Amino acid sequence: MATGFFTDTTLCIGCKACEVACKQWNELPSDGFDFTGDSYDNTSELSGTTWRHVAFVEQMSVDDGGLRDRWLMSSDVCKHCTNAGCLEACPTGAIIRNEFDSVFIQPDICNGCGYCVVSCPFGVVDMIEKFDPEGVRYNLASLVEDRREEHKTALQGNGGVAGKCTLCYDRQKLGFVPACAKACPTDSIQFGDVEELRARARKRVETLTERGMQAQLYGADDIGGGVGPLNAFFLLTDRPEAYNLPAQPVLPSTRQPDGYAAAAVAVLGLAVAGWMIFRNA
Amino acid sequence: MRELTEPPGREEGAPTPTYYERPLLKPPHWGWSVTTYLFTGGIMGGLGLIQLLADRHDEDERKLRRTARITSFLLAAANPALLISHLGRPERFLNMLRIMKFKSPMSLGVWGLVFYSGAAGGNVVRELANSGVVPRWLRFFAPGILTPAQALLGAFTAGYTGVLLSATANPFWSSGKRHIPAASVASGLSSACALSTLLSVLEGNGRVTHKIERLELVAATAELAILAHFERHAGNYGTPFFTGARGKRMRTYTIQAGILAPMALNLLGMLPLPKPVDATRSVIASVLTLVGGYIFRESLIEAGKLSARDPRAAFVQPT
Repeated sequence: MATGFFTDTTLCIGCKACEVACKQWNELPSDGFDFTGDSYDNTSELSGTTWRHVAFVEQMSVDDGGLRDRWLMSSDVCKHCTNAGCLEACPTGAIIRNEFDSVFIQPDICNGCGYCVVSCPFGVVDMIEKFDPEGVRYNLASLVEDRREEHKTALQGNGGVAGKCTLCYDRQKLGFVPACAKACPTDSIQFGDVEELRARARKRVETLTERGMQAQLYGADDIGGGVGPLNAFFLLTDRPEAYNLPAQPVLPSTRQPDGYAAAAVAVLGLAVAGWMIFRNA
Repeated sequence: MRELTEPPGREEGAPTPTYYERPLLKPPHWGWSVTTYLFTGGIMGGLGLIQLLADRHDEDERKLRRTARITSFLLAAANPALLISHLGRPERFLNMLRIMKFKSPMSLGVWGLVFYSGAAGGNVVRELANSGVVPRWLRFFAPGILTPAQALLGAFTAGYTGVLLSATANPFWSSGKRHIPAASVASGLSSACALSTLLSVLEGNGRVTHKIERLELVAATAELAILAHFERHAGNYGTPFFTGARGKRMRTYTIQAGILAPMALNLLGMLPLPKPVDATRSVIASVLTLVGGYIFRESLIEAGKLSARDPRAAFVQPT
């Protein structure tokens, strides 16, 4: 069965419980105490060790009608694309599609070449830094001397590899709901069978439209560019760009035929020139 | 997707909103070792073609072929070290060889490098057997088919690095889906010609350099034409590469010093110059081409990093 996330941003209250639950379950290191000044967003972006990221979009203006304002919150996550750029790019086969139809990086196979990082049209995958035995950048548990050994074998101890959301592969195997969806207090993050989620999402857009709100789905249907539908899709109330999502993502491998053809033309032309030059004594 | 009316604070037709000017994509974490590999891999591929072209029966060409083969084998032996050193987990390099994946230029490239090393190694054995350094019967392991095989595999290794960059989500790289692979081939060949010229002059095989220099002239002209067309084609996606401090560096070192100056010097070589002057001219032209070739690869990688951090470039990605 294909499972996925439906993230309904109209229900998000920006509590970041998803971020915390994800970090705790997956034993991911903290992002440090950075204050960005960008609304309440001090996480900034998804990374190799940040697999949920709550975006805060503040929209305000004062006109004749008085103050008009809107505060959008959205929990971003790996999209688990139907045609995943990272999976196609991976030269070791570390990135696979598992039995839940999720895109999963096997941390013990990945050798850290970094090609998936530049092949994700959504900028999700990133490298995990090498494990830091002093525990300065890592979670509290790694600061405890007795637990360091244990944490070297945990995922974050596998530094030097690529990291992203696993759609809680381990929890799903046990029949549990992924940590972020479990922790979400408003059901903004809904987990389940993708087809069922899509039907629910379409109904939700209808309801919202009836109430006079604007809403659109991002990735519930084929998103174009060869990427296909997303297993983790979103309900948005503004253009995707406002949430730092690409309006027109493209699957990188679709450019390969043109690339190889252009290289072949160049090779052929230069080889003929070379043959003509070297033919004459 | 349905059209939405603009939210509060944004006028109709206002520029695309960004998320606090934060970039959407992640930059490549590749450094000097990947840049160097793109450069030496291109030379290695170009030498594959040169050893095929110089497969004739006059003494100068035979010397050139021998130099090209030995150099390409040495590069093929050194390149894996560069590739392994950039990995987050170098000890897992062999995981690259657990599968062969046609959809992944990185995977195909690694296999291309493996097979190229085999062909180049065979051809070196052939050279050494011919000159009696190793027993003649070892030629049995180095059949003649390895000569065109090395040329074909060389063409692949010179070209795939371009596809490796252009078949990513990086806005600048992907805007050159045809230009970067073609320019990689042309730059690889011109650098290979320059290195061959340099080594030939150093071994006192100066007469053959005129042929290589003519080939270099063709490759450099092709590279120049491709880059000029790329600049117009890439538009805004190309700004990290063609403009600013990075663009200035690329123009100075790659286009002016690395392409135009060697072209002029190589044209000058068609005049009857005194031998020492001609040798000096060849050496200067070759060194300039090599420097330009390296800066070209460096500029590709660094412009890719800048492009990935552009908050708007990746919203609408090049097809």
